[in-house]
Amino acid sequence: METNETDDMLKGFFGEQKQEIADNGFSKRVMRKLPEQADRSWIVWVFAIAGIIISLILGFYTGLFQHAQFVLPRIPVYYILAGVFCFPLVGTIAFYFTQNKHYRVI
Amino acid sequence: MSNTDDIRWVAQVALLGDKTAFDKLTCKYQSSIRRFFLNLTVGDAPLSDDLAQETFIKAYLNISTFKGISGFSTWLYRIAYNVFYDSARAQKHYDDIDEQVIDNQRHTLNEFSAEKMDIYKALKILRKEEQTAVLLFYMEDKTHKEIAKIMNCPLGTAKTYILKGKEKLSVYLTQAGYGN
Repeated sequence: METNETDDMLKGFFGEQKQEIADNGFSKRVMRKLPEQADRSWIVWVFAIAGIIISLILGFYTGLFQHAQFVLPRIPVYYILAGVFCFPLVGTIAFYFTQNKHYRVI
Repeated sequence: MSNTDDIRWVAQVALLGDKTAFDKLTCKYQSSIRRFFLNLTVGDAPLSDDLAQETFIKAYLNISTFKGISGFSTWLYRIAYNVFYDSARAQKHYDDIDEQVIDNQRHTLNEFSAEKMDIYKALKILRKEEQTAVLLFYMEDKTHKEIAKIMNCPLGTAKTYILKGKEKLSVYLTQAGYGN
């Protein structure tokens, strides 16, 4: 028998036998058996607070905030509005394209 | 659900110890891992569920060692493969077990037994390595490269296992009248 024919036959054979196995509480049993580990969500807060503190220090130290206070009132409000509205628009488009396997427009 | 989801959930488990994220991974892969074990144990459903449970627990405990070079699925199958062979070595499962016990288990314990008799009979003619490679290739749709990673062997060896398994199964299924 030719290799391709054999491949097709085996793919057909295994394909017929392949079936999804229902969870039937298996995942819950696994979750119950998992050992307890310390909650490490504090890591997120530590890095977030450290990031804010570093930003504030650098902002004041380099004169960025003082400069921004001077520059911001001189930027036309339309530029700021465009910037503010563009961000969620671009974010939504990016989200749609990364998740397009799950969401359809119609 | 894409591989991006896998990476995100793995990161949540590894960094934050987020069990909910691990539950999502378990739900996503439980069917394929349990099916893999069910076929390797030729239909022993309770044993395959125990091995699958052990696989997921080991994955949870060692998730920080997952580097993301291969997919999460390949990494999980690698753990499953090791769990199965450790278990087989420890229990001498395939050397000492009574054939009749296996047959009884198939009839009484496995809800899929009637439909799966053919595949179990066919798999029994293969060596364990050939069974694993053939199952991963034809049933779990893994590539040669992924199979080599899962079985921790050179690519050529993985291809040889598949080729030998294919030849044996081809003869067996043709003689059994499959595909006529």
